[in-house]
Amino acid sequence: MNAISALTCRASWLILWLALGSAPSLAAATISQQINPPEINLGDSANVTITIQNGSASGIQLPHVDGLEIAGSSTQIMNTSINGVESNALSITFAIEPTHAGDFTIPAFDVTTQDGGTLHVHEMKLHVLNSATAPASPTATPASPASNPPFNPNGPVVMPPNSSSTAGTGGQDNSTANPADSSDTGFKPPIDPDGRPAKVFLVITPKITKAYVGENILMRVEFYIRNDVAHQQDSLPTIDGSDFLINDLSISPKQDNVSLMNEDYTCFSWITAIEAPKSGDFPLQMEQDTCWLKPNQNNAAPNDPFGNMFGQPPELVRGNIPSNRLVIHVDLLPEEGRPANFTGAIGQLKVSADAAPTDVEVGDPITLHFTITGEGNFSYIQCPSLTADPNWKAYTPSSKVEFDEESRTEGSKTFEQAIIPKKNGALPLPAASFSYFDPTTKQYVTVPISLPSINVTGSAPVVTAAASSSGADDSTPAATAAPAAAEFLPNRSEAGAFQASLAPVYQKPWFWVLQGGLVLVLLSGGVMTFLRTTTNTSEDRNKQARRRHSLLQEENAMSEAVRNGDALAFFLAARHAVQLQLGAQWGLTPEAITLAEIRERDPQLAASLEPLFTQADEIIYSGGAGDGLDLAQWEIRVREGLHQLQPA
Amino acid sequence: MNVLFQLPRLLVFALLLFPLTLRADADLDAANQDYSSGNYEEASRLFQQIIDVRGYSAALCFDLANAEARAGHPGLAILNYERARYLAPGDADIDHNLQLARKQAGLESDSYRWWQIVLRNLTIGQWLAIVDGWLALIALAVLANAFSANLAPCLRLPQPVLKRIVKGVLFVCIPAFLFFGYVALIAAPLRIEGVIVAKGAILRLSPFDSAEQIGTLPEGELVTVEQRHNDYLCIAGRDNLFGWVQEKELQPVIDGSF
Repeated sequence: MNAISALTCRASWLILWLALGSAPSLAAATISQQINPPEINLGDSANVTITIQNGSASGIQLPHVDGLEIAGSSTQIMNTSINGVESNALSITFAIEPTHAGDFTIPAFDVTTQDGGTLHVHEMKLHVLNSATAPASPTATPASPASNPPFNPNGPVVMPPNSSSTAGTGGQDNSTANPADSSDTGFKPPIDPDGRPAKVFLVITPKITKAYVGENILMRVEFYIRNDVAHQQDSLPTIDGSDFLINDLSISPKQDNVSLMNEDYTCFSWITAIEAPKSGDFPLQMEQDTCWLKPNQNNAAPNDPFGNMFGQPPELVRGNIPSNRLVIHVDLLPEEGRPANFTGAIGQLKVSADAAPTDVEVGDPITLHFTITGEGNFSYIQCPSLTADPNWKAYTPSSKVEFDEESRTEGSKTFEQAIIPKKNGALPLPAASFSYFDPTTKQYVTVPISLPSINVTGSAPVVTAAASSSGADDSTPAATAAPAAAEFLPNRSEAGAFQASLAPVYQKPWFWVLQGGLVLVLLSGGVMTFLRTTTNTSEDRNKQARRRHSLLQEENAMSEAVRNGDALAFFLAARHAVQLQLGAQWGLTPEAITLAEIRERDPQLAASLEPLFTQADEIIYSGGAGDGLDLAQWEIRVREGLHQLQPA
Repeated sequence: MNVLFQLPRLLVFALLLFPLTLRADADLDAANQDYSSGNYEEASRLFQQIIDVRGYSAALCFDLANAEARAGHPGLAILNYERARYLAPGDADIDHNLQLARKQAGLESDSYRWWQIVLRNLTIGQWLAIVDGWLALIALAVLANAFSANLAPCLRLPQPVLKRIVKGVLFVCIPAFLFFGYVALIAAPLRIEGVIVAKGAILRLSPFDSAEQIGTLPEGELVTVEQRHNDYLCIAGRDNLFGWVQEKELQPVIDGSF
């Protein structure tokens, strides 16, 4: 496929972007370009980015270049409003891949904008190295302007600092390593064409430039942004290529204000570690995707109050800021003296161990805790190995890593391994050891680990040939012994009640229907109570008033009867008063209150009221003959009784 | 009356189900036969087949777990013991075999406090039934209060007495409802739990194959699943172990909960 020609097809889809807002209407469209990185290895790809500010265009195509293929393209549209000044940018990026090593030149070409204008794209150069001819020097490669050209000819000149002068990386051996924690050792930022230090730049400072395969290389990453630059940061620095693995960078980097060449900068810094999975000399470079506004050179004077109105809007620039470029020399670990249990751990490490419990029965698990602390490549650290011992069965260990600092090179890794005794007695635990490579002494270190003896009681377990357990030593003869396997309680012969799903009852619709029903009943009861209370209040009040009135009448009648000595009138009034009170209390009409009714509901009350009712009946049936009765005394008793019968 | 009309239908339905029941029992016998003969792999397959066709039961999960344990699959054994215990939490046999399987897999035994033991004696369904019982009593009491004027003569009770009874019932039922509601909330399997069924499952810092390894998990370990990202699950294990594992390396205790 002729990729550059095909580019026409890929880019032929219409890139329409209407220039909206005041700024685009006031400012003329400008174009910028970038090829990143300008030097690559054969097999890698580079990005060509064309950015149009305050304008739009369709069908942007790169001229055909023999030996370059297109791997893909993407388009970005950005709108920015800063201090009321709106600007926009259209950016199309082409990924190009060389088919052979050499120097390539993408010739200059013109882009026609939507409004008929013409924008000129300068020629771009790409240098492709043959992989086999990659720089072999262990010393840092100086980042010359030729190898790291300005990021954007029309934008801010971003020149990654010369690695040889950056914190003195040098690429010497480990003993003369450049300190990653020193960011101000004669460092000079790149210079823009206006003579001022660059607006944005990225610096990487590895602690060493010679390392072993798998060794952690501590590295400081610093991203400088001049304080007078409006910028937008939404990504972390990334490492170029696949020669190194990098530990995760913190999303909250350390932020400092620094002064370089009398300019104030904000410096975002990370401490991380990289490692190389294979030996050789590898270029190390990072990049930072960023977006910032370049104030236009023709803007009005700073004191001009109309500057923003009549001046050109700032230019929006977006792209990858490359860092300084270094070469890391990676050696293979020495074969000589390599322990059998070496798993790739490199660093300065310490091991501690304990076992608990120390008194167990045969078949009971003992947990071995191994803790490896120090500085090193923790992903390569494996559980210390136990020697094979027929008296013990060891299981696969679990592990946990905790880092002490941001670079994730210092910390501790803890292993827990279960081990089961297969016989009783005072058994020494299997011998354990841990091996690592110390890059300082360039020697392997094997640390013997002392473990306590275990006092094992109980009888030897039944060995069931059919059972086996998971474990690291499944292949050993001991692995076929399942301690106390015969102790499993036997199967059930009845399957029992089935249920289609294990989902909890509250995940089933009928459960919520039931809850809804119950709540509905509850609410209905509450509403009914409320309605009855409110609607019956006035009625009850009237009824109560009538009852009180009737009661008062009867009490007056009683008093009148006492004064007149009219026993018949007294007992009629007294009985009716009692009926009124009890009727109100029991929710019955006064006429329904008879002695029999009272006796049925409250025998004790009936007994106390019986004399009154009996006397009243006698007097009524005798035609009013109540001679000899002390009506005044009766009145007192009746009034006391009425008081006690007062409804709640 | 309606029930009488429904009886023939129920009979026909029961007759249709009868062969299925017979077949399941025959399958169960066959699986148990294989188990007795030491064909644990085949027994596991048959037990699983019955579960796939007819659903879960505590006894069946228990039998399957026994077969998996003997077949040398501690992860699957512990998974099915956990399922059996979920269905029948008070069953001492299940708990015994589960603890034994954990011990044999080199895992720590479950240690519970007294209140956790009490909670684990009933299923969540049973706890919720208790809560609903109290709620039903409250609903009845509120209804009785609303209709006390009509209800009192029927019960031959003075209305104030009936109201006092209602108040007494509410006084007891509302705190009981709240208490058992809280208990049910604690007992509810709100946490999504899974069991590691792969040997040496790798715990990663982030949900990608290339992400840094931060540990390994032993087969049979019970973990809590916090969230998912594509084929990775974020889990929390004991001792504050936290990270991402591939979904295929663990299975949910409650099927389909991931």
